[in-house]
Amino acid sequence: MTPMSPTRATLIVAAASLGTLLGCKLEPETPELRYSLSDKVLNDPDGEEYASDSIAQDQLRGALEMLFGTPSNPGFLLTEDMLDEGFDPNFGSDELSEAEWEALIADNSDRFADDIAHIEAGEFDDVRLPREALSLLSYWEETMDEIADLEQALADAEAGGEDEDGDPLDAEGAQADLDEAIAAVKADWPEELRNYYPSLRDSSEMFRTQCIHCHGVEGGGNGPTAEYLKPLPRDYRNGIFKFTSVANKARPTRSDLFRVLARGIYTTSMPSFRRFSDAQLHGLVDYVRLLSIRGRVEILGALDYDIDSGGITMESVLTAYADEWEEWLGAGENVIAYEGDVPAPDDIVPGTNRTMIEHGRELFKDESSANCASCHGTNYRGNGPSSKERDPETGEMVQITDDWGNPIEPRDLTRGIFRFGRRPIDVFRRVHAGINGTPMPAQTTLTDAEGNRLLSDDDLWAITHFVRSLSTHEQVVATQDEEAGH
Amino acid sequence: MTGFPAYVARVLFTVLFVLVPILGVWTFVTADDYGWWFPQNVSTFGPKIDALFDLILWMVAFTFVLTEGALVWCVYWYSKPRTSKAVFSHGNHKLEMVWTAVPAVLLLVIAFAQMGTWAEIKFTANMGLDENGEPGQYTVEAPMMEIYASQFDWRARYPDRDGNFNGIDVVESPYDIYVPVDTPVVFHLKSRDVLHAFFVPQFRLKQDAVPGMTIPVWFNAQEVGSYDLICAELCGWGHYKMAGRVHVLPKDEYEAWLEGQREALYANGSADLAE
Repeated sequence: MTPMSPTRATLIVAAASLGTLLGCKLEPETPELRYSLSDKVLNDPDGEEYASDSIAQDQLRGALEMLFGTPSNPGFLLTEDMLDEGFDPNFGSDELSEAEWEALIADNSDRFADDIAHIEAGEFDDVRLPREALSLLSYWEETMDEIADLEQALADAEAGGEDEDGDPLDAEGAQADLDEAIAAVKADWPEELRNYYPSLRDSSEMFRTQCIHCHGVEGGGNGPTAEYLKPLPRDYRNGIFKFTSVANKARPTRSDLFRVLARGIYTTSMPSFRRFSDAQLHGLVDYVRLLSIRGRVEILGALDYDIDSGGITMESVLTAYADEWEEWLGAGENVIAYEGDVPAPDDIVPGTNRTMIEHGRELFKDESSANCASCHGTNYRGNGPSSKERDPETGEMVQITDDWGNPIEPRDLTRGIFRFGRRPIDVFRRVHAGINGTPMPAQTTLTDAEGNRLLSDDDLWAITHFVRSLSTHEQVVATQDEEAGH
Repeated sequence: MTGFPAYVARVLFTVLFVLVPILGVWTFVTADDYGWWFPQNVSTFGPKIDALFDLILWMVAFTFVLTEGALVWCVYWYSKPRTSKAVFSHGNHKLEMVWTAVPAVLLLVIAFAQMGTWAEIKFTANMGLDENGEPGQYTVEAPMMEIYASQFDWRARYPDRDGNFNGIDVVESPYDIYVPVDTPVVFHLKSRDVLHAFFVPQFRLKQDAVPGMTIPVWFNAQEVGSYDLICAELCGWGHYKMAGRVHVLPKDEYEAWLEGQREALYANGSADLAE
């Protein structure tokens, strides 16, 4: 073998570098992604038969794919009821309130300002659409292809081309067609951008770039970074969301999820995603709902597994689908709102001579009613006696757990950190409805022998104001004095 | 063996090395045309920071061109085929004195040039002063807001109507931070967990947030607008997500916003009811 000449070596290196550069564009398209079945459902001790029945798993996987599509192409199957009611969950935009639409359009106008200006000026080459907006991008490319075709037709006509019959091409007509098409783009596209609302496919793409590393492909809270977080990311698949504005353990409203995305959950690893547009966040809400319903239908479908009736039946899956949709659409009826003005912390509680804060302090420690201190402690730091329980096997005292089986500490109320917001109504809702999936109970479910509520709304406001006051300097000093006195 | 003749290689390599200073200088000269230069400055002390940057940049540019020139000369000169014997040399006291003294003087120039600017931005005695040097509305003792950094969240806290940051009705604003225009704004920067850094490029302001410390910071934004706030200290896996937005509002709009937030605290939740 003769040694390679430097010139030849240089050429080979250059060719390889060029190949690498070009290779970026020659990469194959991302393969079709698939949702996986839940490990938790498969490992459920009650579902042993299902776990060992791969045919049933394929049945369920297929049914879920029919109902929800794949990560690359997600979408809801429309049921007859939905068609009857004219409700199409694939367009979450229909569910926005007027105020939300106004905010969305204002936000889009701001974010697309440059693109809108370019389009209105006819500078189509300078338009830069966000890469997550797959549907918008492909629509734009289509529009530009049409313009390019018309430009080509005009060029052909001007070059003296002839049509199939040998007649000269109509240059004036081609010019008119092109002008008309350009005018249409200038007129329609700014509106298109202002009203942009991501498709589920766009939102799935967003979810894959922003959320997947914690929440996982199926929203199981099991992404690669999840294990390093405390508290752990939410598993959407059982439909339980901690921070909502609703009572009765109902599903969250769209605005609850939007609020979490926009504000984050303070002192957890869930950051604010406000840097994305309103439209993108509403789209993510749509997609989280899809993942949650999908996960829930999977659980319910697997629970209905019955080897005698053919494993997983489409009927039971469809029933689960309809039931879960009903849960989500009914959430709005459970919103906790207070009629009238929110009382101030210094207001006197009706029927007592105490202020809200003083009354709240009484109730906080009252063992016969609210008894918040049993978990949150008499020093409010979340270390009350009920925050631990005896492990039945080892007999040791261990931290209580939440519905996901993770140890959970009652909130240290002296830190002034309220994860779902620090407005009185936010804290009121926590006291009123509890926190889903955790041992924090709904105080409205406490009743006497006749079934009357033990705590009135005024009592709940008193607890709310007392809890909010705990992080204030004066209250901490007063509490320390009180403890020193005991 | 085929290949380039030696003299071609010699010229090629010299040209290659000449290109380094030329391209280096060119990127700086044309950076502005490509939008690679500094973002717009909107704070009062910004021009002084930029002037310091320019001073150091000129020093570096001069040294860079000089040393690159020497390097190119060496590449060309010493690649010449020669038959004479190499000269052995060891040490040059004068040369060493020069290359120690010159950088030392330059360092002193930088040190003295920046003292006034550093004092203006970082000394608590100078914080919150208006253009006449008089104390403004906000002081180190009574700041306009507190900003808490935590993994991976920026959160501004505004005092209640009595100016109390420990009050029950403080206003909290995650991500979006609102400040009045043309006002010396003083705030306290705190961290809830690890090191973070408050960095608004348009304000030419960067300050670390240190857990356990309350660090006063100030700026005076001269133009209404919204500016990106980013965390400039690697703070964990989500560091890249730790963004915020500082909105500079006209003074009356800022007051109206804050008052609106205080009122919104007492919303009764009816706005969330299903329609």
